[in-house]
Amino acid sequence: MFAKLALQSLLDRKGSVVLSLMAMTVSIFVLLGVEHIRHQTKENFSNTVSGVDLVVGARTGSLNLLLYSIFRIGAPTNNISWETYEAIASNAKVKWAVPLSLGDSHKGFRVLGTTGDYFDYFSYANQQHLNFAKGQAFHQVFDVVLGAQVAKKLGYQLGDKLALAHGIAATSFSLHDDRPFTVVGILAPTGTPVDQTLHVSLQGLEAIHIDWQQGVKMPGSTITQAELEKAKLQPKSVTALILGLESKMTTFRVQRAINQYKQEPLLAILPGVALSELWQMMGVIENTLLLVSALVFIAACLGVSAMLLSSIRERQHEIQLLRVIGAPAYFLFFLIELEALFIALLSCVLGAGLLSVCLVFLQNYLLGHFGLHIGSNFLTGNNLSLMLAVICASVLVAIIPALSGYRQARIVKR
Amino acid sequence: MAIDLLNVRFHYPQQPNHEVLNIPLWTLPVGEQVFIHGPSGGGKSTLLSVLSGLLIPDEGQVSIFGQRLDQMPNRRRNQFRANHIGYVFQQFNLIPYLNALDNIQLASRFAQRKKAPVLLGDIKKLLTDLNISASDWHKPARALSIGQQQRVAIARALINKPELLIADEPTSSLDPFNKEAFMALLMSMVSENGISLVFVSHDLSLSHYFNRVESLNVINRCGDSP
Repeated sequence: MFAKLALQSLLDRKGSVVLSLMAMTVSIFVLLGVEHIRHQTKENFSNTVSGVDLVVGARTGSLNLLLYSIFRIGAPTNNISWETYEAIASNAKVKWAVPLSLGDSHKGFRVLGTTGDYFDYFSYANQQHLNFAKGQAFHQVFDVVLGAQVAKKLGYQLGDKLALAHGIAATSFSLHDDRPFTVVGILAPTGTPVDQTLHVSLQGLEAIHIDWQQGVKMPGSTITQAELEKAKLQPKSVTALILGLESKMTTFRVQRAINQYKQEPLLAILPGVALSELWQMMGVIENTLLLVSALVFIAACLGVSAMLLSSIRERQHEIQLLRVIGAPAYFLFFLIELEALFIALLSCVLGAGLLSVCLVFLQNYLLGHFGLHIGSNFLTGNNLSLMLAVICASVLVAIIPALSGYRQARIVKR
Repeated sequence: MAIDLLNVRFHYPQQPNHEVLNIPLWTLPVGEQVFIHGPSGGGKSTLLSVLSGLLIPDEGQVSIFGQRLDQMPNRRRNQFRANHIGYVFQQFNLIPYLNALDNIQLASRFAQRKKAPVLLGDIKKLLTDLNISASDWHKPARALSIGQQQRVAIARALINKPELLIADEPTSSLDPFNKEAFMALLMSMVSENGISLVFVSHDLSLSHYFNRVESLNVINRCGDSP
C-alpha cells in the first residue's frame, strides 16, 4: 500500500519526475559506461601480449619500445643489427627469439616483418596462441598473413594480391607495387593489435627494398625475378626482438646483460612491467573520466532531491491529511525516501538497458576503429556494486527533502 | 465521556503572547452530537487539532474516551488517532491521485486492522451506503465531484469504526442540495453506529440536525478577544 502510494504520487507528478528520471538515467549510463569501458580497455591492454619474457629494441624509453613493438603505435627510433639478434638468440638462457621488423604499411595497417616462429611463440590473453582462421603461415618470400581486422575491413581472401606501401602513413605515394604479395593466411580475431597487422617474412621486406636507397625507389633500377632469387635476402637489421627464456628466474639477469651489451646500445623490457607503467599514465585520464561521470551523477541526484523538495510545498494538504488519518511524522520521511529510491532503481534499469543497447551497436565500431574489444556483458560484480553505490547515494541525498517532509508533517496547520 | 477538556490553554510557539485556547471545562458524552459554531479565527481549527491529538495544549487535560491524549507518547497518539478518531475536512479530504478504494484503504492501514479481504468488503459496503456508484470507485479522487469527494471522505473517516468523528466545515464547499444530502447521510451514519460527533461550522442553518448547539465563544474564553 505504501509502495503504491509512493508510485502513484510519482505518477501524479509525471512531468517533473520524468525529467529527473532522464537526468538520472543519463548520469547512470555515463557512469556505468565509463567504468565498463575503463575496465575492458585495461583488460584489452593487458591481454595484448603474454608469454613474452622480454622485448628488446634500440635504446629508447621503455614505453616507446612497448608502444611501437607490441601496439604498433608511433615510430621506432632505431634498428638493431642482425649480428646482435644472432648473439642474443644464441644465448643459452634464451629459449626462443623472434625478430620484428616494422616500417611499411598497407592502407593504414602496419606491416610486420618476422619469421615463421612468430606464429608459434607469440601469445596473447591467457597464453592463447595465434590461430589461423584460413590458410597457413608464410613460406614464400612474397607471402602475407593478414590479421582478422585487416582481412575483414579490406575484404581480402586467400590468394588475393596486394602491394605494400613504404612508410606508415595511411596514404602513401611510394608503393612497392612492382612486387605484390599473395595472401596465404588469415588469423582468427584476437582483440589485440595483431588483428590490424599484415605479417610478412623478413626476406619479403628485404626483397621489396632491395633496389631502394634512403627510402626512395631508385629510378631505372629494375631487378628481374631471377636476379631477386639469386640475391641474398639476408636482413642487415631488425626493429625489435621478442624473447622467451628457458627459465623465468633468469629474466632480470638476461635483461641486465642485454642492457649492458657492449657492441650496441640496447634496451630490454619486461612487457608486463611496461604495460603497467603505460596503464599508470592512462590512469590519470581514466580517473578524470570517472570523476566527471561521478560529478554528473551527483548533479542528477541533487536534481531529484530538488524536485522532491519542491513537491513538498505543493503536497502540504496531502501531508496534513496523512497525519490526520494516523500517519506518524516519520512516515513522511520514508515516503519521500521511497520515492527517491524508486527513481534511482528505475534509472538504474533504464541506464543499464541503454548501455547494453549502445554496446551492442558500438561493439563493431570500437573493434574496427580502435581495436578495442568491448564485451557487452557489463553486469560484473564491479558494476553491480557501482549500481548499489549509486542507489545508496541517491537515498542519502534524498535525506534533505525527506527531512523537509518530516518537518512539514510536524507542523500543524492553523 | 467521549471528550473531557479541563483547563486547556494553548498558544502557538510563534506567538507567545497570543493565547488561542482557554477552555476551563467542556465535555461531550459518548454518542452525543454537538454543533459548534463560531467565526473563523476563533480557535476552531486549533480546538479540533487538540481534540485529534495533533496539538498538545500547554496546560490542562485532554481526555478522549478516558484516555489522556496530552500524556501519551507520540507513537501511541498517532495510533490512537488512527483507531478511534475520524476526521472530515472542508476540502482536501482525499489524496487526489489515489482512487476512492485506495484512499479508504490507506486510512485503514494506519489503524490496527489487518484483514484486508474483509476490509475491501467493508469499504464497498460503506461506499454503496454513501451512494457512490461502483463505476466511480476506481477513479482518482480528483476526478470525482466535490459532493462525491465529501461522501468518500465520510467513508474514509468511518472505515476504522471510530468512536469519535470530527467534522471541520465539511459542507462549506457544497451547494445547498448536496449540503442537505450530505448532512442527512452523515447524521444517519453517525446515529446508526452510535458515534460521538463534533461538528464545527459557521453555517447556523445546519444546527437543526443537532440537539446540542454551542458557540465557540462560550466554550473558549479567548474567543472574545482574538
